[in-house]
Amino acid sequence: MAGMNTDAVVTFAGVGKTYGTVKAVDDLSLELYPGQTVALLGPNGAGKSTSLDLLLGLRPADTGTVRVFGASPREAIVAGRVGAMLQSGGLMDEVTVGELVRLTCDLHPRAYPVGDVLSRAGITQIADRKVNKLSGGQEQRVRFAMATAGDSDLIVLDEPTTGMDVSARQAFWATMREQADQGRTVLFATHYLEEADAIADRVLVLHRGRLLADGTAAEIKAKAGARRVSFDLEGAIDEQAMRSLPFLTTIDVSGQTVRLQSTDADATVHALYGLGVYPRNLEVAGLGLEQAFVAITAAEDAASAPSTQTAQEAMAQ
Amino acid sequence: MNSLIKLELVRALRNRKFLFFSAIYPSVIFLLFAGRAGSSDKVDGTGLTLASFMMVSMASFGALTAVLMGNSERIAKERENGWVRQLRLTSLPGRGYVLAKTASAAVVSLPSIVIVFVVAAAFKDVRFDAWQWLALTGAIWAGSLCFAALGVAIGYLASGDAVRPITMITYFGLSILGGLWMPTTAFPHWLQEIAKWLPTHAYAALGRAIELGDAPHAGDVSLIVAYFLLFAGGAAWLYRKDTLKA
Repeated sequence: MAGMNTDAVVTFAGVGKTYGTVKAVDDLSLELYPGQTVALLGPNGAGKSTSLDLLLGLRPADTGTVRVFGASPREAIVAGRVGAMLQSGGLMDEVTVGELVRLTCDLHPRAYPVGDVLSRAGITQIADRKVNKLSGGQEQRVRFAMATAGDSDLIVLDEPTTGMDVSARQAFWATMREQADQGRTVLFATHYLEEADAIADRVLVLHRGRLLADGTAAEIKAKAGARRVSFDLEGAIDEQAMRSLPFLTTIDVSGQTVRLQSTDADATVHALYGLGVYPRNLEVAGLGLEQAFVAITAAEDAASAPSTQTAQEAMAQ
Repeated sequence: MNSLIKLELVRALRNRKFLFFSAIYPSVIFLLFAGRAGSSDKVDGTGLTLASFMMVSMASFGALTAVLMGNSERIAKERENGWVRQLRLTSLPGRGYVLAKTASAAVVSLPSIVIVFVVAAAFKDVRFDAWQWLALTGAIWAGSLCFAALGVAIGYLASGDAVRPITMITYFGLSILGGLWMPTTAFPHWLQEIAKWLPTHAYAALGRAIELGDAPHAGDVSLIVAYFLLFAGGAAWLYRKDTLKA
């Protein structure tokens, strides 16, 4: 263990959490630092929500320790240092939006004025509306208001833009960037990879409870190591020959178009010409974060196929 | 925590159905049951007129409704929809949620007791000394805490779908078998033997002793305190279990 850094906002040291026989979080160690905007990525069941639950003290870790600002998660929350917006977090119904936000402000040791919180979240107009009469996007904004009711140093967001349309989503991230610019640490889990690509200055990729990659979006893309190659061929395509090209990771032939990913695009294209075909509209491009993410997790799945099976068996029980 | 109590109260007072069942309904039943009887009819073996007997029964029933219903269903639903989780992300102490619920239920249960008294005095000429009225209010109000704890326990035990039937069975079972609706002397002997061990039986007995000019009997007080400890202990245990898996 590389020693607990006291400057770290969040420290996970060898953290594990098991549900029955499924390891939701497996020996997870990481540190988050002040001012970082961190995206937490992973397919469903990767352990994102469990990791956030452990970080927020909603569940106890089976092994290892979780520290937030050098204290336990609960202590950090009581001190008003953490604001959080959870997918699974519900709202009190039969009260108005304004009453609910006021309650959250009353409970925050370093609260902002209620009016400011409402206007920053863009819900001043619906302050008199009953909570149980809101649309999904409005509900998310109320949750956001509750997460930013006070001057917290760490903001944790679980799938924050689910249910928002494109413009609401953009407005949301603009507000979130302001928060980060004020020196706050922002940690968000998302399945919109373009959000992670555009907003995060650090990306964590979780897969089956383990940290698979940790770096900037550019580093993650480089780590995937693959590039996309696509071209058209005239006449019948010899799929067998295409599949025998070197350094392929995936290949898809549809109609006259061939799309493939290669860990060495130069060598693959060289071999393609060696087949004596004449590819047209040839394009070679780097992977987007999304494809990089798929490549990284797929490579991991292939490397540990037997344990996938046990996990599935465990789920089936 | 005061702000949560305030908001819970606002919400309870806005809920017309809840107010009807806790505040109006017991008085309506009181008038239905006591309405037929003449003012000198005595209830078997109690020495009380039917009106006085039913007044304590329905005041106890109203308080029971307010605290049991207020807690159990809300807690189960809010555990399910994630509000309980959301509150755990605030500085509110862990037990603050349950205390706020119970405190607001207790505020609502007070008028449901007083309304029955006023109706009984106004329409059925029920008369007691001032100390008796005060003692009745205090005893029935304090005794309702036992059922507030039961409501919390049910709220943490049952899921959102199951909570209503479980609450209803508990509520009507305790009310009827405990003798809040009719004197248990109308029951067969074996059922009377069971009924006298129920918390609602002891609860109504507190008020009846005061009506006869006595202090509540030690046996009834002990029984209701024992039930309170049992329900509160169970609620605390269920709460802790829920916190670990939520």
